[in-house]
Amino acid sequence: MQEIRVRPFALTSAHVFLGAFVLACALAAVLIGSFPLQLSIVTIFLFAGPHNLMEFRYFAARMPVRWGRSKLFYSVGIGGVVVLTAAYLTLYFASGNWLWSLESWQIYAAVWNTALILWVGLLFYLRGKQRRRDWSIAFAAAFLLAGLAWIVPQYWSLALVYLHPFVAMWFLERQIRRTRPEWLRAYHLCLISIPVFLILLWTLLAGQPNLTQETNLFWRINQHAGSEILPSISSHLLVATHVFLESIHYFVWLLLIPLVDRRAIPWRLNDVPLFASSRGIPKIFAAFLIFSAFVSVALWFGFAIDYTTTRDIYFAFAIGHVLAEFPFLVKML
Amino acid sequence: MKKLLVPVFFLVIATSAFADIARPEKSPKSVKKPAAVDTYLSIGLDRDAKEARLIIPRSQLKTLRAELDAIDNGSDTAVTATSGGMSKVQTIASGIFISLAFVFAGIWFARSGKLSTRAAAAGAVVFLFAGLAAIVYGNAGPPSEARSITGKMFAPAMHIYKFGGGKIKLEISDTEDQVQLIVPDPQEPKPAAE
Repeated sequence: MQEIRVRPFALTSAHVFLGAFVLACALAAVLIGSFPLQLSIVTIFLFAGPHNLMEFRYFAARMPVRWGRSKLFYSVGIGGVVVLTAAYLTLYFASGNWLWSLESWQIYAAVWNTALILWVGLLFYLRGKQRRRDWSIAFAAAFLLAGLAWIVPQYWSLALVYLHPFVAMWFLERQIRRTRPEWLRAYHLCLISIPVFLILLWTLLAGQPNLTQETNLFWRINQHAGSEILPSISSHLLVATHVFLESIHYFVWLLLIPLVDRRAIPWRLNDVPLFASSRGIPKIFAAFLIFSAFVSVALWFGFAIDYTTTRDIYFAFAIGHVLAEFPFLVKML
Repeated sequence: MKKLLVPVFFLVIATSAFADIARPEKSPKSVKKPAAVDTYLSIGLDRDAKEARLIIPRSQLKTLRAELDAIDNGSDTAVTATSGGMSKVQTIASGIFISLAFVFAGIWFARSGKLSTRAAAAGAVVFLFAGLAAIVYGNAGPPSEARSITGKMFAPAMHIYKFGGGKIKLEISDTEDQVQLIVPDPQEPKPAAE
């Protein structure tokens, strides 16, 4: 006689994680779908600065005291971040002068895009060499993407706006593999739920009228989400989609990554090699951390005084932390 | 395949430097909306017209000019923003990079030793057909009805192209009070009765 064993259901932390993630996404989708402009303003106000701080904290924790075999990789990575950030800020702030025509600015921006793509391709190749694998196909991919970036720069830029939030999700996936492998399956289910929420949002919002653009701030938010590039799609849908994805990305950096990686908990500095090691740079590290915290607080004051201007300034300087993501993400592959 | 997809996907994601920053506008500091005048356009088919004409009332032209004057460098922005297509620099740069992509991909395949003779032959055939298709479809223009402003462009058969255009004469009118588009509508000669 065959014996049938029924395994009792046991609620694990992975189940709780999955349930909380889906619930939070559902709540966010409802709120953001109902008030996209307001939520865009609120989320950037609350989370823009702190999520930068958490990213810096996370990267600092992953940085070894001595680079050893990774010296070339980190040199190219950090050098690229510095050079590309400086070039971007120059493009951003100097482009209004009378020497720069609109055409020349567009070409410089395309050159910057190309440099960025090739830099990432090079990082990938170097990481392949470290792992004793031939990842030179990264150059082919980089050149192909560079070509596309020249052909359709507007769609290229817009695609990047919508793809960026997924970088945080990728970081989280790599981190869960390392420190919480028992959550990996649940996290993959979380990732599958995101397209479901997006399809629901698109179904409900596709017929909505465009959002107001009566103020400069509203117009910037609409434009950031691609309302000028995709005029036939409701800007309500576009802004809601962008804010939804951005909110998940803030949620990942501020809550989920510290949850799965003890070294990312802000006050646990003893787990950070740069701070705790005898060969580290604890004073410089602490000073930089305090400065970053100060900038986050200053951003709140700036947003409170003049939201639109502070938003523009923040988004210009935010390029630094966005670029810094790449070397660390490649290193985790 | 996985090896190929990972760097492609990674690079798409990784190049998100514009992502958390405001997407660049046509010019980073041109934050004002382009000039616009709300008006009414009437489109009329005219059997006697020899050419398409767009008639703009002088009063509305003055309003539009005033809007443009209110914007710093307004004329430059407007002209550049409305010019479509790819510039020569874009074409050359994109062509070079895509060519380099094929070269590097070919080198990688050759070095990886995964390129068998049959696969190479299949790849060559695919590229040949893709190239021919690109030439055929790239140079195939819309029918003449969609490339000249006449009454024929409103025919249901033209709807699939979702666009149309052609030469037009711009006129300024002191007497009209709304924008008018005069579209020639020549009559087809009727076939002789059998």
